[in-house]
Amino acid sequence: MIEILQQIVNGIAIGGVYVLIALGLTTVFGILGIAHFAHGSVSMFGGYLTYLLVASLGVPLVGAVAIAVIVGLLLGAAIEFLAYRPVRDANPINAFIVALGLTMMVEGINLQFFGAEQVVIPTDAGHIYDIVGVTIPELRLYVIFSAAVLVAAMAIFVERTKTGQAIRAVAENRDAAILMGVNVNTISLVVFAVSTALGVAAGVMVGSLFAIAPGIGEGLVIKGFAVLILGGLGSFPGAVIGGIVLGVTESLAAGFISSAYKDVIAFVVMIIVLLVRPQGLLGKA
Amino acid sequence: MSISAKHVFYAAVLALLCALPLFITVKYYVHLSILALVWVIMAQGQNLIQGYTGYVSIVSAGFMGIGAYSTALMGMHFDLPVWLTIVLAPFITAVFALAAGYPSLRVKGHYFAIVTLAFNMVIFIVLMNFTDLTNGEAGLTGIPKPGSGSGPFDFRNRIAYYYFVLLVAVLMVIVAARIVRSRVGQILIAIRQNEDLVSAVGIPTWKYKLFSFIVSAMFAGLAGALYAHYQSFINPEIFGVAQSLDAILAVIVGGSGTIAGPMVGAFILVLLPEVLRFADSFRLIIYGLILVLATIFMPRGIVGLASQAWGKIADRGGS
Repeated sequence: MIEILQQIVNGIAIGGVYVLIALGLTTVFGILGIAHFAHGSVSMFGGYLTYLLVASLGVPLVGAVAIAVIVGLLLGAAIEFLAYRPVRDANPINAFIVALGLTMMVEGINLQFFGAEQVVIPTDAGHIYDIVGVTIPELRLYVIFSAAVLVAAMAIFVERTKTGQAIRAVAENRDAAILMGVNVNTISLVVFAVSTALGVAAGVMVGSLFAIAPGIGEGLVIKGFAVLILGGLGSFPGAVIGGIVLGVTESLAAGFISSAYKDVIAFVVMIIVLLVRPQGLLGKA
Repeated sequence: MSISAKHVFYAAVLALLCALPLFITVKYYVHLSILALVWVIMAQGQNLIQGYTGYVSIVSAGFMGIGAYSTALMGMHFDLPVWLTIVLAPFITAVFALAAGYPSLRVKGHYFAIVTLAFNMVIFIVLMNFTDLTNGEAGLTGIPKPGSGSGPFDFRNRIAYYYFVLLVAVLMVIVAARIVRSRVGQILIAIRQNEDLVSAVGIPTWKYKLFSFIVSAMFAGLAGALYAHYQSFINPEIFGVAQSLDAILAVIVGGSGTIAGPMVGAFILVLLPEVLRFADSFRLIIYGLILVLATIFMPRGIVGLASQAWGKIADRGGS
């Protein structure tokens, strides 16, 4: 029983990372209809950058994360403007192929600038709590807490602000939003910037909880899309619940079935959902 | 290009490919040519699902791996003749493609791509971890070559193997062209253009999409089998997602939705690293950049550009 609880707690921390990745993906997909496949690699770029600032330049972690998030905002906007905007009116397949090309580029850039060695972002959070037999490292608590804060902030941004209202309007009906005077170009930039910043936060979490290495980003973005499929495309609560479900499932599978095949199990869950409930757990039929 | 000009073009290319080993004195270039022909088969399969049907599948390298491992394992454990295992490999791949395609094709567009990519990762993870069967990361060695040491065709000879792969590649290009021209092929193209319309006139699109997916997987499986017997050694490394992306690159750069495109793309894909050797560590960045730029500025690929240019010249000549 304790073992199960332990795996669930572990799974929630990983799930928090998936939620952040999935929120970025689902926002971009919901507004622009783009499956932003490079999202994972860009997130890892943010993680690497944080590592470089902390480990090599001695910047305090909070400062390094702040810089990485700002770089993420700019990078996201640049990606939208330079890569996706030129293919916006072309066949949707083209945007996806651009996304694949971007993935290759960003992976290549990561490899070139940060090397092939895996890196772990150093943190001071080394304390381990023991609550009725369940061990919780301090770091995981921070990750869960920060993920929760970011999800809440994103929800407030989308639901309560003027820009958020415009974002929802574009998602609902692009043409009508344009007629109402919403500047779709600006909204696209904002959506990409915010999503990428969320991704960078997730990259920092992966880098401090586990490690960053070549190929991790691609694995992460697929998990992100698996969450979208689980939760229902374009659904905000679906992304949150789907992320935690995937994290916990994976963690339980790694603990009780096989850690080598834990990724396979995550995909099997995704495929079963597709077969039984293609619209996702929270999606509308 | 008019029909006759096209035929002349293909005949010239074929003649060139047949004569190629006569010109090449460096063995390494024969090696590259064999790889390029294997990739012609890969890219032709990828083109069927991606270029004609309009569904970007990111699992072809995974299917190539299934073809390669199944032919190797059948040859090594059941002692079957190589000819037979090469023929069987695509059919074994087809079984896996059926299992993967059925759930994948329930989602459209981008999500189909993501799900197929997940399948590629699953295949890769299994090849890496199912060590009893696949020997994991170390891979399989001593895969037999076709034919015995004696007789007129010794396929341990690189040039003989070149002609063998050339023959298979030409056959597969013809098969692809026949599929595209058939009624089924026309429906695939219609699905790419407007899937809703196709299903609205009562055509069960899922059957045709599944057909396209499975046939494309069989091309990849065959390419994998030819590769395995050529190299005599395989490991999971080259059957990962990165190689599936290479297949997409070959189709886009060559010219998606054309028969000539994947052939051009495959040769570019294999020869590009040689040209870029001075910038080896930038390879990924350059490939990615090419993919992005080609999609934005040259969505019809090299073949598209060339036929456009040819059309202009022919127009001027005519008037």
